[in-house]
Amino acid sequence: MIKVNNVSKKYGSFTALHSIDLEIGEGEFIAVLGPSGCGKTTLLKLLAGFMGPTEGTIEMDDLVLASKKRVLPPEKRNIGMVFQSFALWPHMTVAEHVKFPLSYHPNKVKENKKKMQERMNEVLKLVGLDALAERYPSELSGGQKQRVALARAIAPLPNLLLMDEPLSALDVELRMEMRKEIQKLHRETKASIVFVTHDQGEALAIADKIVVMNKGRIEQIAPPEVLYTRPETEFVATFVGKCNLVKGQWQDDQFVPAIDSKNTWPDLGVTASFKENGIYPVRPEQFQLMPPESVGLQGVVSFVQYQGHEIHYTVEVEEATWTIHESVFSKRFATGDVVSISLKSSLVQKEMLISN
Amino acid sequence: MTAKQPKDRERKKRDSSFSLFFQSKNLYKIIGLLVIFAFFLLPVLRLVWLSFVDDGSLTMQYYTEVLKEPATWTTVKNTLIVVFGSTILALALGILFSWLVAYVELSGKKAMQLFIFLPFVIPSYITTLAWTQFFSASGPVTAILSWLPGDLQAPNLYSIGGIVLLLGISHYPLVYLFTVNVFRKIPRELEEAAATSGLSKKRTFWKIVMPLALPGIASGGLIAFLSNLDNFGIPAFLGTPANIRVLSTYIYEQVVGFGPSAFSRAAVLSVILGVIALAGTILQWFLLRRSRVNETNRSDSTPRIYLSAGKQKLLEVSLWVFLLVTSLMPLITMGALSLISAYGVPFKLENLSLRNYEYVFLTDSKPLTALSNSLQLAFFTMVICLVVGTAVAYLRFKYPDWSTKTAELFMTIPYALPGTVFALCMIFMWLEPIPGWNPGIYGTVWILFIAYVTRFLVLQVRGSYTAFLQIDPSMEEAARTSGASGWVKWRRILLPLLFPGIFSGALLVFLMALTELTVSSLLWSSGSETVGVVIFGYEQAGYSTYSTAFSTVLVLGILFGGGMFMLLSKLWDRKVLKKND
Repeated sequence: MIKVNNVSKKYGSFTALHSIDLEIGEGEFIAVLGPSGCGKTTLLKLLAGFMGPTEGTIEMDDLVLASKKRVLPPEKRNIGMVFQSFALWPHMTVAEHVKFPLSYHPNKVKENKKKMQERMNEVLKLVGLDALAERYPSELSGGQKQRVALARAIAPLPNLLLMDEPLSALDVELRMEMRKEIQKLHRETKASIVFVTHDQGEALAIADKIVVMNKGRIEQIAPPEVLYTRPETEFVATFVGKCNLVKGQWQDDQFVPAIDSKNTWPDLGVTASFKENGIYPVRPEQFQLMPPESVGLQGVVSFVQYQGHEIHYTVEVEEATWTIHESVFSKRFATGDVVSISLKSSLVQKEMLISN
Repeated sequence: MTAKQPKDRERKKRDSSFSLFFQSKNLYKIIGLLVIFAFFLLPVLRLVWLSFVDDGSLTMQYYTEVLKEPATWTTVKNTLIVVFGSTILALALGILFSWLVAYVELSGKKAMQLFIFLPFVIPSYITTLAWTQFFSASGPVTAILSWLPGDLQAPNLYSIGGIVLLLGISHYPLVYLFTVNVFRKIPRELEEAAATSGLSKKRTFWKIVMPLALPGIASGGLIAFLSNLDNFGIPAFLGTPANIRVLSTYIYEQVVGFGPSAFSRAAVLSVILGVIALAGTILQWFLLRRSRVNETNRSDSTPRIYLSAGKQKLLEVSLWVFLLVTSLMPLITMGALSLISAYGVPFKLENLSLRNYEYVFLTDSKPLTALSNSLQLAFFTMVICLVVGTAVAYLRFKYPDWSTKTAELFMTIPYALPGTVFALCMIFMWLEPIPGWNPGIYGTVWILFIAYVTRFLVLQVRGSYTAFLQIDPSMEEAARTSGASGWVKWRRILLPLLFPGIFSGALLVFLMALTELTVSSLLWSSGSETVGVVIFGYEQAGYSTYSTAFSTVLVLGILFGGGMFMLLSKLWDRKVLKKND
């Protein structure tokens, strides 16, 4: 159990983190998601111990890892870390990379040579590198390097595994494959994982819980599906769900768009904060386009982008510009067409239905 | 879990070093800076102070005295002519070579680069000796000219022109070094964009390439300018016989002349020299004021200009002829002429003997003592610089704030100062480190040792700092999250990765200290002669054959050492770092 209590970090006059609170449970897989400069890397570095907080404390199982005055250095923390650039040491073989933490990590097993060898073989087998143990990093492919970095991090069975955008240096195909690998490792090692990424697809796919950060603050902490379907802030709605923020009035559970008061939309799962501000966050796939004579808001198609599995329309509605995704099997429209826009009557997403 | 175990240890630590360190970080910074100030900047300030003081009272007497003498103004004029001429020559050669190597398709670029650097690793006074042999009555130039019709004479090197030529040839590698990567880093898209906008190749060069290369050219030009101003060996070897003085040799003459006011007059001349150096630095700043350096561009080593096969061959041949004539031929001539039995006799088999070598290494005891002195000085300077310089570089890399930047600036000053000026600073500082207390450092080998460490430390700092910059910070972070701390982290991870960079810095310090002449010519005392001082002594006494023999041995030693270094770093890259090229 890791507790981040009211942690702030300042670099000179710039505040990278504003009073962050976060709890990471035993064996939990947490993704920290946010655009570049949102403070996610700072948070990871604080968890690792490469620097100390300006305010607040970080605790692991009741041991204070870091406070304003005192920082337990990384080498004394029970952690493992996977770096964006892999950070493999060019002068060491794959086997030596795995042996290194087994000799020096707080969880080291160096008293027992045989045990160390066993553990090394076990780890190498787990990541599928047992045949390449004597290779040097320069003789490995990108995916293999990534596996070595993972093997080195998990070898000493750390309490907490930190991953700093570990997949961003890989190409798309390999990234999909390594997602599964990391999920497998999580199942088998049962370590808590903090996985930093700027790719929302990756975060949604891989984590138990997502922490969305923006400008040094936590916007929302929620399981992937809750985060996607019931965003609590405008930032989460647009960054994660690519929502169109439609202005209007909430009357009980009915929404009246400001642009055209003849229409009312039902509540498909909008959180209270949006209702207070008179906003309906609509994800692109929640809209449907119909010929102009149908019931709905009137708009003009300004761009059409074919994506294979769906079609992305950009539609001008009065002053606003909305993004709408339609299936390739639905009726097609062309640039300049006048269309009628309405909400798809899909399932109402209540929080209790999907939180588990 | 295990993280609980260190809890007790941690609690103890809280009361001692760790929290204290954080609280008094600024105190440590200030103490460190004060120490660095005392060793690196204070000597310079004391020199300036001394030029204004007579018997404890402020005076302008020395300035009025020195500035009234016509000899001062002749010297300043000579200095300016020599320095500007040689800087322009160094810039022209340096830019030409760096542009050709960066842009034009040529074979054997690596070997070419090696020969460009050769005049740089050979101390300039030895290069000068070699050139005087090259143009001497028994040298190949005279021999070739006598074959040609007409009454052609080999040019006289003992002239302002000779000094300019030798300074230019010795320092164009510096310009090359600063500009070649600047040229390589200019994105070729910029030139292509200019071409598609309708600019001809020539106009693209002047409108796009040159403005972008200006920062590198200006820095290279400044370094060449400062080196030309600072150089003592070349004007001392070539100027003294012809009665041509520049500031660096004039200061030397003042100090060894030991007049009643010798030191004060030398201090005044040093300030004048410092003002000229400062003017050059300001000129560079002025040129660079509006240019923006883009450090993130990738270096692109593939050629951009392809010549027809015939033209390429012609260019290669002419470049090689130039390189061989300017770097290797004079050395070979020197080696050959060191074998003739007496100065001036023709180079024939019956005149060859090892008598000069016999005299230098068996009869005269000074050269061997000097060699042993210089080797010891160079070795201990290297060791101290290696440890201190790498530590400073690590702090500079880890905490890149005002304190470490200022520290590096202070350390650069002794190296940037002209050698004669620096030597004077050292005398004033260590004669009486605290006014009224003379620990007897001046007049022993210790002042040389202190001076070398002070002067060359920044070379190691820069070398090690570059090495730190080249390894990704995550290498160290990965070691720490794997549990390695302190010595283990250095021994297993950092040192193997840093070794080539740190080692090349150390080798540079060793080489500079081994062949140093300017500083030691003012600081040596009987029994603490250095290699440079002995060769200079022979030359001044007119024993050219002895100085060439000793120099030839040194050159062979330097080339052997350089070769070993290249071999070792290549092996290290392949065997330890597993780099494949």
